[in-house]
Amino acid sequence: MDAVVKKIVIEVKKGNQQAFSELVELYKDKVYQIAYRMLGNVHEAQDVAQEAFLRAYVNIESYDTNRKFSTWLFRIATNLAIDRIRKKKPDFHLEDKVAGTEDLDYYSQFATEDKLPEEKVVQYETQDWVQKEIMALPPKYRSAIILKYIEDLSLKEISNILNLPVATVKTRIHRGREALRKRLRET
Amino acid sequence: MACKKDYAEQIHHYLDEELTLLERKRFESHIQKCSACHAHVRELRKTEAIVQSASHIKAPANFTDNVMSQLPKQSQKARYKN
Repeated sequence: MDAVVKKIVIEVKKGNQQAFSELVELYKDKVYQIAYRMLGNVHEAQDVAQEAFLRAYVNIESYDTNRKFSTWLFRIATNLAIDRIRKKKPDFHLEDKVAGTEDLDYYSQFATEDKLPEEKVVQYETQDWVQKEIMALPPKYRSAIILKYIEDLSLKEISNILNLPVATVKTRIHRGREALRKRLRET
Repeated sequence: MACKKDYAEQIHHYLDEELTLLERKRFESHIQKCSACHAHVRELRKTEAIVQSASHIKAPANFTDNVMSQLPKQSQKARYKN
């Protein structure tokens, strides 16, 4: 796998733009998943995931082929997602009650929009309560939890992606799952 | 009832299998007696299982084409390199 990826990256570095599509195919689901789990919104996830690949392409010269490509790519994606979260500073939460209603939250509002069939499936995910709980975590714990439990990465890889010492990653995972435990206990 | 001793940190190291054999034995004999810590471990394991069970989602079907269509246009010179 790594040897195959390295070969493709070298092709891209030589100027073979078409070869880049193979990298996108290989990693699109994982990058999209990171973005979606961080942002909890399909449109923003698509935006951020695409932007991550565009940045990777534009900056491919700065990627060191001796390191793992996915680590480099996931770092770009994670940073973009965190930037997006910082910028948006929501003034309401999806679980807040819609003004003037008794029991409608903002999730129920999304469901009434007309979506393409494909988006509907993901829409269901938006309402998925696991995602809701993940979204309730502060972003720095959220990224560590997503990379560990959903992407199933090692602590070393997570530390490289987040550019943090392994000990800090561990602390974030501990605090993240402690926060999740407290919330899940109430359900 | 909450546990008087503070095992909050150790619970996580236990979960991650980072305790020495002796520490682990001590911790395990503690949770046999302490229902609060026992419940804490069980809840954390359940939390991990729930997060891991989050379904894996896929990128939209047109994703690769969208990315490729947004890449900067290649110059003649770049194409010559091939």
